Amino acid sequence: MEFSPVLYIAIPLFAAFLIPLLGKVSKTLVKLTPGIVFLYLSYGSILLFPKAMEKPIVQVVAGFKPPFGISLYYGATAAFLITMVTIVGFVIWLYSYKFIIREPIEKYYMLFMMLITGSTGILLTGDMFNMFVFLEITSIAAYSLTAFLRDKDGAEAAFKYLLIGSFSSTFYLLSVMIIYSYTGTLNFADIAGKIDLIPPMAKGFVLVLVLVGMGIEAEMFPLNGWAPDAYSQAPSPVGAVFGGIVVKAGLYAMIRIVFLFFKTPEVMQFLIFMGILTLLIAEMAAMRQHQIKRMLAFSSIGQMGLVIIALGIGTMGSTSAALFQMFNHALIKSLLFFAAGYLVFHSGSKQIEDLEGLGYDKPVTSFFFAVGALAIIGLPPFSGFWSKLLILVSVAKAGDIAILLLILTGSVIEAIYYLRAVVKLYTRKEVPDNVRRTPISGLVAMGILAAIILYVGLYPGVIEKWLAPAANNLLNAADYIKAGLF
Amino acid sequence: MLYYIGAISLILIGMYAVLTKKNLLKIVVGLSIVDSGVNLLFISVGYVKDATAPIFSMPSLTADKMVDPVPQALVLTAIVIGLATTAVALGLVIRLYDHHKTLNINKIRQLKW
Amino acid sequence: MRKAIAILLLAIVGYYFINVFIHMPFGEKREGVGKYYLENTVKETGAANVVTAIVVSYRGFDTLGEVTVLFLAATGLGAILFGKRGEKRRLQGASVIVKTTSMMLYPMVVLLGAYVFVHGHLTPGGGFQGGAIIATGVLLMFMSYRHFNVSHNALTWIESLAGLTFATVGLIGLALGTTFLQNFLPLGTPNDLVSAGIIPIIYIAVGFKVGAELTGVLDNMLKTIR
Repeated sequence: MEFSPVLYIAIPLFAAFLIPLLGKVSKTLVKLTPGIVFLYLSYGSILLFPKAMEKPIVQVVAGFKPPFGISLYYGATAAFLITMVTIVGFVIWLYSYKFIIREPIEKYYMLFMMLITGSTGILLTGDMFNMFVFLEITSIAAYSLTAFLRDKDGAEAAFKYLLIGSFSSTFYLLSVMIIYSYTGTLNFADIAGKIDLIPPMAKGFVLVLVLVGMGIEAEMFPLNGWAPDAYSQAPSPVGAVFGGIVVKAGLYAMIRIVFLFFKTPEVMQFLIFMGILTLLIAEMAAMRQHQIKRMLAFSSIGQMGLVIIALGIGTMGSTSAALFQMFNHALIKSLLFFAAGYLVFHSGSKQIEDLEGLGYDKPVTSFFFAVGALAIIGLPPFSGFWSKLLILVSVAKAGDIAILLLILTGSVIEAIYYLRAVVKLYTRKEVPDNVRRTPISGLVAMGILAAIILYVGLYPGVIEKWLAPAANNLLNAADYIKAGLF
Repeated sequence: MLYYIGAISLILIGMYAVLTKKNLLKIVVGLSIVDSGVNLLFISVGYVKDATAPIFSMPSLTADKMVDPVPQALVLTAIVIGLATTAVALGLVIRLYDHHKTLNINKIRQLKW
Repeated sequence: MRKAIAILLLAIVGYYFINVFIHMPFGEKREGVGKYYLENTVKETGAANVVTAIVVSYRGFDTLGEVTVLFLAATGLGAILFGKRGEKRRLQGASVIVKTTSMMLYPMVVLLGAYVFVHGHLTPGGGFQGGAIIATGVLLMFMSYRHFNVSHNALTWIESLAGLTFATVGLIGLALGTTFLQNFLPLGTPNDLVSAGIIPIIYIAVGFKVGAELTGVLDNMLKTIR
């Protein structure tokens, strides 16, 4: 059986259905299953990635040609992001292996696998309603994982997330409905060809609905109120899942829809504007946080703002820079969440204040946190440097100095609060002897991420050569339509 | 046309409940009302005048005398999804009630909203 | 104050809604995929019920997602309410009349549910509806008998096996044919009970799964009442 893109969705799902049965046999088996799944998916990525870079693979489900059946579209952009999801997912599993010790462990891994299913589904699907289904799978898994620790604040954060999330899905469903009622089809490529059948008034309404609906998942201002609470109350690996995978999938969905249906200069201007607002407000909010995970969450929102700005500029250079930034952010933010998870665990407090002196007591974990902080600020020789540089260059090329300055302002604020946390970490202070150690699996997970970040920073060419086809695939709607309807 | 207006009013009523009610359960009920409104709206989009259900159970039925089957299929999915969301929401409400011994949203708020 | 803002906000939203939908054609025939399905379903899938054919065959992938969502709700609820199982229920036992009637109705309700999902490709209804009916029967028993219990073990097995059946049928399609969830069985005569290829198999699996999951959800919630 040849490896087909549908397996990216089917295999994690199969694993989720299988885990409760495995749980009756042994707990170790349950814990190992996700790792095997990710290894298999990475193997698939190695096989499919080069093919997709040349020509999008369109996979039909149930044997009916699009637009009548649902089709999966595994193009260069999707391939790039799915490969990222598999890498991050594997590392998160490795980290969870010793981190999640609280029952019900099998439920944790089931929810985790379904979250992966939903995210890869959003990235892969070529059908508008199918995307809604995967969006819901992702969201419901995310709500449950947010409340996984079953404490007071976790339940509250999850309820808040659920309220906002159900508005998001309602709006998205309404947009699907309006589009269907005018075009009579649900396939993205088919809709893109018939988009002019929708009268301007309804079209504008659909745009608003999509931006609000998907903007919530992509943490666009002012729809990101759920994010800091959910990130900080969920277990640390789940925070990494949100920042590294879920948000990326939501952003991809939003951008894909906007670029396919509504790519006008005004909309792009609006995206840039929202991106700037998101960036600046989030960075300023991050500055004021006292809890380390809330700080990371706001920083994550800020980074999304940066990506949205770069996507809004809409040139080849800026789009590839945005994809590069998404890749970097997924890895770096996961590393930061991992390190922060154990720092919080060791110090027994979520406050940044209480991190003092841990740099000497827990040198390895703190070192990884510092690496992540320097990388996300965009210092060489880490990978974050190149993506930020590329974004700034592309903005400068587009000739907008005001945007350039605003991005720089945001970056400076970001640098200040990250450095503040790192300095705190390495301030000398007597720390009561702590016998708790960071487990090997956690250290290996962080080590892998740090190695990739450093490697890409030293040799950016390994990622850069895939960016052009990925950006081209995202920007070029005509090719998408041609490939999607064959 | 009246069907559209009725369904839209349901959506708005549900949203009003979510925005203004203080009781967690009432908020969940509001969410369900929004869901029902959207589903009804979708079904009315698929309505065709003087047409029948899309099932070929008798030879006399022909394809041009049937309503659009796609919205019905999609709404089936949407209903199930709405139910799942409601179930998880109720689970969270049970948890919150356990921790705080109240359903009043003003007394529960610890995190900044 | 809060109410006034909410009303204002909703008035704006409502205005745009009405404006968009007032121009939308109502009750007219639509070109597009719906028309294609109506004309070709019987020929291509062998199912008499077009909605079922769309749900299970043309858009079968959605249904897989849908089943996942239900499974997810049951799992998520289990995770959220974990550690609260087995606490005492405060439900009052019902009167003799209610008890006797429910005992008589229960098998019939379950039978009706099974009928609905077995005939999903022929008559209105299907796996989701049938499963919901079965869960209603269980709810009836929950409400009339204080000590009515469902085996959690059995529910887990039914859920997982039904889910695996669905995924396996899909993967067999991928292995034998070319695509996931492709039909690999003969279509038979439309309107026969055994017809329409893999549609009845999938819908029966869905029926079991939905019934078990909804029962699990009800059980989870009832057990936590103190």
